[in-house]
Amino acid sequence: MATDIIIPSDLWEGDEESVITAWLASDGATVAEGALIAEIMTAKVQNEIAAPASGKLSILKEQEAVVVKGDVIGRIG
Amino acid sequence: MENERKLTIARAMAEAVAQEMRADPSVFVMGEDIADLGGIYGNTRGLLAEFGKERIRDTPISETAFIGAAVGAAQDGMRPVVELMFVDFFGVCFDAIYNLMAKNIYFSGGNFKVPMVLMASTGGGYSDGGQHSQCVYGTFAHLPGMKVVCPSNAYDAKGLMTAAIRDDSPVVYMFHKGLQGMGWLGTEPGANVHVPEEAYEVEIGKAAVVREGRDLTIVSLGQGVHHALKAAKTLEADGISAEVVDLRSLVPLDRETVLTSVAKTGRLIVVDEDYHSYGVTGEIIATVAEHDLAALKAPPRRIAFPDVPIPFARIMEQYCLPNPDKIVAAAREICPAGAPAA
Repeated sequence: MATDIIIPSDLWEGDEESVITAWLASDGATVAEGALIAEIMTAKVQNEIAAPASGKLSILKEQEAVVVKGDVIGRIG
Repeated sequence: MENERKLTIARAMAEAVAQEMRADPSVFVMGEDIADLGGIYGNTRGLLAEFGKERIRDTPISETAFIGAAVGAAQDGMRPVVELMFVDFFGVCFDAIYNLMAKNIYFSGGNFKVPMVLMASTGGGYSDGGQHSQCVYGTFAHLPGMKVVCPSNAYDAKGLMTAAIRDDSPVVYMFHKGLQGMGWLGTEPGANVHVPEEAYEVEIGKAAVVREGRDLTIVSLGQGVHHALKAAKTLEADGISAEVVDLRSLVPLDRETVLTSVAKTGRLIVVDEDYHSYGVTGEIIATVAEHDLAALKAPPRRIAFPDVPIPFARIMEQYCLPNPDKIVAAAREICPAGAPAA
């Protein structure tokens, strides 16, 4: 069963848009639950996204994509 | 299966420093906003929490004082890693850098070592003006007594930092802002690569052939390597096969790798974001010309920043910067169209 990678509502304060500044795993790579997989920058502060499950990563929003809280940026299946 | 472990250059630098600090109590870090903030380029993130304020030291805005202090500490047995936040600020502290740091090993007849790393951010492209956007690679590489390195990706960034900290000579570690993985300074996915967790060194003074080719050698460093790789991909469609050499170090300079590549391809383009005249591009071309002029099938070309202060206006700065299109255009001029015979 696939698990969505969702930007948590408490990742930063406020509701401003942010940018995916780096994927730290490749599309199609195998990742372990809890591993750091992406960085998201909000107003020059970098926030971290950890893998919510173990499995194969599918990237849905590429580096440089503008995102908001609740967005699904990838999937682990 | 092992988790893929891509890092940004910023994370790779911090990881190397942390590992050396764990292994060697004489390593410490100093600079502006490197402790509480974790460095404005993210390259000291997490260090304060692990090592505390004694070893991760925020300094006042006096580069003269803290770089001078680092030279003294290094001569006294410590291994300081010091950050000059923007390389452009070297003007206020150059006596400490090139009269003290670079020369004291020589002046003492080798009785003092100066095992320090001077980190400095380089480069523009994000409209920060002419005193926050320079590279000045050639300036540092020109003056004897300092090793100079400049990584283009996270693997080299970690290995070069580890090697720099362990080196008994001063190493100037120049990192391009656009490769750090900090979005507002630009992003370059090609800089984020898999990095082994364990400590390792990338030898200072060794270039890397990052793409093999037959018709043309493109030599660059830092962000220019990514421009070169993109240009090489475009040129492939024209039937032009470009080899890309990533210098990785300017001092010592791996002339051998450049000469070997040009001996094979016969054509040379050097790409550097530093100023055009009296710089890295001229040095590379001179190296080839001095060695064997007959190796060249066409006049070498350089793509560098024009000899003007870097403009603030975005459209003007972008016009001046090296980019893949400029490399492709130069390549088409010096390579016969349609897969030239080697």
